[in-house]
Amino acid sequence: MVKISRYILVIIAVVGFAITLPKLYWMAFSTPNRAPFIMYSCIENDFMIQRSVEDGLLREDTRGNEYTREQYEEKLPFLYVRQLLMSNTMPDSINGIEMDTHEISMHRSTFRVQPKDLKTPAVKLYPLFEAESGRAALEMPEDYFRISWRMEFVNAKTNKVNEEKSRLFSAALYNDGFEFPAKSINGLPTTRKSCDEGYLIIDSKDQLFHLKMIQAEPYVEKVKLPENLKFKYISCVDFRDKKYYAYLFSTDNEMYVLTQDEYELKKFPIANLDPEKDVIRIYGDLFNYDVIVNGDHFVNVYVLDANYNFVDEYKESWPAPMEKTEGKVFQALFPGQISMTNPDSNFVKFFTKINTSFYWIALSILLIVAQFIIVRKRQATLSKNILDFIVIGISGIFGFLAVNIFPNKFFD
Amino acid sequence: MWKSVIYKEWLKIRWFAIVFAGLGILAVGNIFLRVQHDFTFNDANNYWYFILFQGFQYFGYGFFKFVPVIGGLGLAVTQYFPETVNKRIKLTFHLPLKENNVLFMMMFFGAFCLFAIDAIMFVLFTSLSLLYFPLEMISASLVSTAPWFLSGFVSYFLVALVVLEPVWKYRFLYALVAATFVPIFLESAVSGAYAPALPLLILFAVVLSISLLFSGYRFRKGEM
Repeated sequence: MVKISRYILVIIAVVGFAITLPKLYWMAFSTPNRAPFIMYSCIENDFMIQRSVEDGLLREDTRGNEYTREQYEEKLPFLYVRQLLMSNTMPDSINGIEMDTHEISMHRSTFRVQPKDLKTPAVKLYPLFEAESGRAALEMPEDYFRISWRMEFVNAKTNKVNEEKSRLFSAALYNDGFEFPAKSINGLPTTRKSCDEGYLIIDSKDQLFHLKMIQAEPYVEKVKLPENLKFKYISCVDFRDKKYYAYLFSTDNEMYVLTQDEYELKKFPIANLDPEKDVIRIYGDLFNYDVIVNGDHFVNVYVLDANYNFVDEYKESWPAPMEKTEGKVFQALFPGQISMTNPDSNFVKFFTKINTSFYWIALSILLIVAQFIIVRKRQATLSKNILDFIVIGISGIFGFLAVNIFPNKFFD
Repeated sequence: MWKSVIYKEWLKIRWFAIVFAGLGILAVGNIFLRVQHDFTFNDANNYWYFILFQGFQYFGYGFFKFVPVIGGLGLAVTQYFPETVNKRIKLTFHLPLKENNVLFMMMFFGAFCLFAIDAIMFVLFTSLSLLYFPLEMISASLVSTAPWFLSGFVSYFLVALVVLEPVWKYRFLYALVAATFVPIFLESAVSGAYAPALPLLILFAVVLSISLLFSGYRFRKGEM
């Protein structure tokens, strides 16, 4: 029993060190990766790249031409509208289209999704706004809804279910073929938007529904989906041009928009868009959509025209953290690392990363030899220390520290 | 005999246990005093909104997060420190009882007291939450607070180990291990974030309950 208690303590120490030591290492030695900011210029029909260099910012295109700040801003007129208007450098027309500030702002949109948005513990209660209240501003409703075995509205003041409203909305969903419970409920639960378009809801059979409340009555629309199309993430948007309700990311890493009123799904001609792994940003303007995908060691930029047709792409990568000197030293020192938090997730769990390169085994062998000497010095029996050697072999420096902090010398 | 040994344990920890229970009740009371105040000064639907979409944690009020750790730490010190003065624990080891069983009994008695006080806090917290919030919010807050309660047990077991360890060098090293391990229960995170980590954290807290045997063994063998 005492032996077991020692090995429990050894495991606890290995876990503790595997969390703390790599954390301290990266705090001391990690160097930042500054991803370049890349946008497509509708003036040059080329990508404009802004990157951090030692003495400031370097602005260039893909052919190596460098630009001053002012020149760079002029190449991206929709990104720097206010600056160009202020300095009177906004062109009168671009690609034969007259520049009108109202039109420009109508077509501008920005969107961003990151892995954290998908990996987050959602408390599944949402406010359903009145979409046609006759008021200029949206008002926060008194109740919040959940969709479990039915749709239920819980009043915040009384903490009780509003039976009448719950029955009305549950029946409306049921009559349109909704299979309870909901798998995901997606909307913009804020009053700070131009109008309310309700929620896009996936039911338990992966069907997609649009639900909103119009003058206290339910409005339900079932969206026709191609067979086997399942979504892993839906992000509703509130853009001025009102072209579509949401960006939808499928389980096979394709991206769609759902057009407003017609409920048509339009696919972006870009493969492998995975918001579970990469940060995806989409900038829309009068002519193009810039889809920027940022991974930890690459950036891919895809350009589409206003009708979602492919125009151009640009890709750039740089050494991954583990390929840099500090990464290589890390791999020689530690067999891996455990962290409780992760920049790509809002969950707390044991994020365990085993090093893919096996440099650390050399150090483990050295530590086993060192442990062998320690055991010999103590004149202990080797056979009684075999488990300690195995612990060091598997967990390297973490195990070496652990077995020596909780010494085995009593069991000889 | 067992009854007397348990009574001895109770004598050591009773004042601390009472103060700790009071502190726990006060911490929970403080949370709901503030929640009640917030409900008076805000619309209930807006208050729910802060919790649901703006990351507000009503259970994060005051020092609630650290109450179980303080309890575990204090309980371990009050229970085991007197045993190390003049090596009094050796008297216990001379009783006609199995040494490991005595240590187990001490450990389980302390852990049970900690559990009882945590249970009072837990029941009070949950039942008061039910007055103001729906089940979804309460379950997320329970997932978030569960590791705090577990941290109390883990710190109790690890501090007991440190206190009973006879050699100062190892005391320091054990404390170092505790310092790397206990914080994993106390990460700042959004409500309900701990759900995937909980099973393993519970397992660690449970298996650590026998760790005291190690120090106890070294103590009675006279390790210096």
